[in-house]
Amino acid sequence: MATDRMNDVVSLQQRLEGHGFIAERSFAATLMLTMEMRRPLLLEGEAGVGKTEVAKALSRLLDTRLIRLQCYEGLDAHSALYEWNYQHQLLAIKLLEQDQRSILDKEQDIFSERYLLKRPLLEAITTTPAPVLLIDEIDRTDEAFEAYLLELLSDFQMSIPELGVIRATERPFVILTSNGTRDLSDALRRRCLYQYIDYPGFEKELLIVRTQVPEVPEKLARQMVEFVQSVRQMDLQKKPGLAETLDWVSALLRLGVSVIDTDGIEQIMDSLSALVKTREDQAGLTRPVVEKLVAAC
Amino acid sequence: MLTGNLAAADRAPSSSLEETLLTRYAGFAGWLRANDFRVTTSDIAASMEVAQRTGQTDIQLLRWSLRAVLCSRAEEWRRFDALFDAYFLRPNRRVLVETRAAGAGPIERDSVGGQRDASEGMPLSLAGRGGDPTHVEGSATDQGASGEASLAHADFSHLNEPDELFAIDDAIRRFAQRLRGIQIRRERRANTGRVIDMAWTIRRSVSRGGLPLDLGWRRKRRLRPRIVLLLDVSRSMSLYSFFYLRLARVLSARVSDVHCFIFHTRLVGVAQALRDPDPRRSQERLHMLSAGWAGGTRIGDSLDEFIQQHATRLLHSRTAVVIVSDGYDAGEPEYLQQALATIRRRCRRLVWLNPLADRADFTPASVGMQAAMPYIDLLAGARDLASLEHVLPQVLSTLQ
Repeated sequence: MATDRMNDVVSLQQRLEGHGFIAERSFAATLMLTMEMRRPLLLEGEAGVGKTEVAKALSRLLDTRLIRLQCYEGLDAHSALYEWNYQHQLLAIKLLEQDQRSILDKEQDIFSERYLLKRPLLEAITTTPAPVLLIDEIDRTDEAFEAYLLELLSDFQMSIPELGVIRATERPFVILTSNGTRDLSDALRRRCLYQYIDYPGFEKELLIVRTQVPEVPEKLARQMVEFVQSVRQMDLQKKPGLAETLDWVSALLRLGVSVIDTDGIEQIMDSLSALVKTREDQAGLTRPVVEKLVAAC
Repeated sequence: MLTGNLAAADRAPSSSLEETLLTRYAGFAGWLRANDFRVTTSDIAASMEVAQRTGQTDIQLLRWSLRAVLCSRAEEWRRFDALFDAYFLRPNRRVLVETRAAGAGPIERDSVGGQRDASEGMPLSLAGRGGDPTHVEGSATDQGASGEASLAHADFSHLNEPDELFAIDDAIRRFAQRLRGIQIRRERRANTGRVIDMAWTIRRSVSRGGLPLDLGWRRKRRLRPRIVLLLDVSRSMSLYSFFYLRLARVLSARVSDVHCFIFHTRLVGVAQALRDPDPRRSQERLHMLSAGWAGGTRIGDSLDEFIQQHATRLLHSRTAVVIVSDGYDAGEPEYLQQALATIRRRCRRLVWLNPLADRADFTPASVGMQAAMPYIDLLAGARDLASLEHVLPQVLSTLQ
């Protein structure tokens, strides 16, 4: 039985790969659990390790919609859940003045779903088939909004005073990401499955580079990944993530670099702005340092 | 293989499979809890469900799946594998649990999680103070005017009378009340204000048939800055660190979003210890945290440790960092300079409280202070209650 399960996990991993997403087997196992139990999945990790990519890949895999809620400071319930279309309602009131129906009927008409503007969260629980709901950078919102999310994430229902409680017709697949700028509450964490995503190892990163940028020559890809891996070992303020690696790959391809060696050091120095993105880090990657790294590739 | 091991280790008295499972996973949850995981009862049910789904013969699958269910933060994630192995793979679980019960602490201590159970450190000045400073909690005091006056110019180094402590607490409470916060761009709805919130006004007018009788307004929000306190508890500061710890304790009790660290040769978070409702136990925990530190102050290294481990989580555009130190640094001044530059860039305000700064002949001449001067928004001294009262408005206006 368990070997069956392992086969399932491996097949999920392969299908994900088919959709351009490289995952470790352990991550595939977690993702499988997320899909079966329909519990939200909380992803944490440094910026640029591909957390958002997970949701996109999942929606491609399941062939459902991806509904994204980008969190920011000051995000309130109105822009995340729902809002009444007031202007539209007022217009309706004026039009209904001539109407002979009872006030009760009119009222029901005004507060019906026709005048409801669905925002991402309401959209997610009313859509069928179940969509993938990505709540991105949840740590940027304030505690108040986080508390608001709890009801949604545990029961997948939402109360709208004028309409009553709206239950999810089908539970969406929820993925939350956090960069750790603020510690999330235990209550939220308890409701989620958890996965920490680290910087990819050499093999994985190479595989990703090859999948995402197929035109890159094999040798260059190897060298570049090795270079990035050793840059990450350095004491930097902001370590380059996967996105930076991919940027750098296309930058080098554009510059016409086909192999990393000490002769082409100028071009490499020029392209480093795609890899390290603070002034201090750029100052740290001086020519001798880069030469040493290049020689090691 | 796995099942055999466990059967031997657990020796569950029940015969039914269900109960064996329950014992096993409840035991594992308890084991994690003993190692500082935040595991609840519902997690036990979830982990049993997971075990039934994944089957229990494939140890890797079980590990990955349980990890997703039972971990809830990065620090737990890193320790999980070792704990899983210790519980499920080797038959020596009991031995480990006993070691823990004997006070040896969790088997693997992550330096990130050091604030929870760290047991290395230096005795705080509290240790040498003779009187128990925390027994004032709730003790009734009457402070006459004369008492206040004499108190106003006493160094904190001589403070251990309950009355005087109460006065300090009082001052800090007043400070906390005035800490209103900085204005942020995001607005919120309000019943009065300057700018009309159109959407809300129209919404309110729906009940009046479209006549906007009740206006809705928008108003700027004020948010209290997050405060990060970094307290120097080295020997040269020993006269004052007691007072500042007291300040930290009252402040973190009155105000949310205060994060407190003490440093000397290394840095330890003391938020948990300070929040302990029992003052004696709180003091005990502070002792434990700082037992055994030695050597000179290394401010630069400690700040660097702060940057490495806590800065991403704590520093944002509304954070006020308050460093309390006399600036006598045994480390490299460049280190201190770099660390301060980094912190200054990432926070809103950087305040340095130096107990020596009140003295008439004070100049920021120590190497550490000189390195720090370009980066700090406010250098102030708070040596006694009077100077604290004097300094608080400045600190407040800097923080806002």
